[in-house]
Amino acid sequence: MLEVSNLSVSYGGLRALTDVTLTVAEGQFVTVVGPNGAGKTTLFKTISGVVKPSAGKISFLGKDLATISAAQRAHLGIAHVPEGRQVFKTLTVRENLEMGAYPEAGRAKWTHTIDRIHTLFPILAERAQQLAGTLSGGEQQMVAIGRGLACAPRLLMLDEPSMGLAPAVTDTIFERVQQIHKEDGVTILLVEQRVAEALELSDHGYVLETGRVVLDGPYETLLADDRVRKSYLGLT
Amino acid sequence: MDIESLIENVLNALTAGVTIGCIYGLMCIGLGLIFGIMKVVNFAQGELLMLGMFASLYLVTGGGILAFLGPNIGPFVGALLAGPIVFVVGALIHKFLISRVSGLKTAGSIDDGHFGQLIVTLGISLILQNGGMIVFGSTPFTVRTPLSSSAIEVAVGYGDATVFLNKAKLIACAIAIASALALYLVMEFTRIGKALRAAADNPTAATYMGIDVDKYYRMAFGMGCGITAIAGGLMATYLSFGPFVGFDYVIIMYSGVVLGGIGSIMGAFWGGLTVGFVQQFSALLLPPQLQNAMIFIVFLLIVLLRPQGLFGRSAERA
Repeated sequence: MLEVSNLSVSYGGLRALTDVTLTVAEGQFVTVVGPNGAGKTTLFKTISGVVKPSAGKISFLGKDLATISAAQRAHLGIAHVPEGRQVFKTLTVRENLEMGAYPEAGRAKWTHTIDRIHTLFPILAERAQQLAGTLSGGEQQMVAIGRGLACAPRLLMLDEPSMGLAPAVTDTIFERVQQIHKEDGVTILLVEQRVAEALELSDHGYVLETGRVVLDGPYETLLADDRVRKSYLGLT
Repeated sequence: MDIESLIENVLNALTAGVTIGCIYGLMCIGLGLIFGIMKVVNFAQGELLMLGMFASLYLVTGGGILAFLGPNIGPFVGALLAGPIVFVVGALIHKFLISRVSGLKTAGSIDDGHFGQLIVTLGISLILQNGGMIVFGSTPFTVRTPLSSSAIEVAVGYGDATVFLNKAKLIACAIAIASALALYLVMEFTRIGKALRAAADNPTAATYMGIDVDKYYRMAFGMGCGITAIAGGLMATYLSFGPFVGFDYVIIMYSGVVLGGIGSIMGAFWGGLTVGFVQQFSALLLPPQLQNAMIFIVFLLIVLLRPQGLFGRSAERA
């Protein structure tokens, strides 16, 4: 579904990603882990089109994304739930979700998806008329995920949904993401620092370090790898 | 001064303040919209007001396209039509000039493009002023309507005290309120309005939602220009104007927008209303040369007491 091949990105001469190759098949749950500054967020921004690659190719559903503008990519079914939530603070919760449904596919399924979002996150129905900026961090994350779901995505990209949240809230968020994957059949690409939980959910994982993929494979392979055990899981 | 004429003067200043204030309010919304959505400080807003006046003038008298409507209706229809005309002018200015120094292109740069915007909008202002001088000449114009010299007289019920409601200003005020209300409804309840607000709130996130932020910024700039132009067209019915008229009003627009709370579009209307009100009311006490000074005194007081503006609000969690 999503194929990233030999992707390199530089910010004014500074290499952020080098020769990254990554594949997400339809229906998969893929996780990218790695330390701060490894290039995880840059990878997402490049897939969304707000950062331009210096080399390499990204294709989605067989289409080369090079000539497709960032805004247009959402209309193809790529939903990006950005790092740090980035909700529309001055819009109500309801309006945030409506904006998620901006692409045609989202509008067509709106009555169905809004019910689904409210089932997954009942608190959003309660807070529908509240400004999103007044919500707690966990609630804002729910708005951000709900907003991503509202476009009826083929691929849902989540950038560190656990960032800055209490462990109990993180558990809920992870549970919901798994539900979205299993029950709604949405393909998931997840970036996480909470490596153990994230890898446990996924079919396939990538380890990104200083802009390069240093390791990839199914959950069992990564878990068996000494480097992953030591650096990310704290196991010996 | 006896009580009778005092009552008459106060009430007349009051009604003049409200009618003029509503027109100023509409004028301020144009500037407030551009700043609120694009974060561009547009120094050329006064010249767009001027273009609105001339657009209306040429529609009504120059080209005579609206001559068939007669002198009572024509000027007001002309004012409304100045809106879409200047919208197109604004959209073109954005496409060729403003878009190069604003929007996603400059988001995240050191100054967010503000230095470039400052120079570009100042330059546009100078070009439009002096270009206007070449094209329109320096003789003052008005869009004449017999309504501006006739008034509805309302007896107050205290002696002979009477309130005079200028018919042209009254109609202009009604059109201003209706236009402001229409814009409010569009911004609040339509998909376009919500997308404009989303693009203003967080342009990057809006892009992730599939909103073409540059397209919406162009629309916001055009709308901001068009709305100020409608106010210009309305003012042209009771005011004589030339190519340099914008300078007097850009100051009023900035005070109105800051008073209302920067970023709050409807706040800009109330800010403009306050400015108009203060200006007309101070005429009771001060010579006309000091009217604008009074605006700034009130402006400073409000900014001191409520730095976020009258209607500014913060959506940040405390």
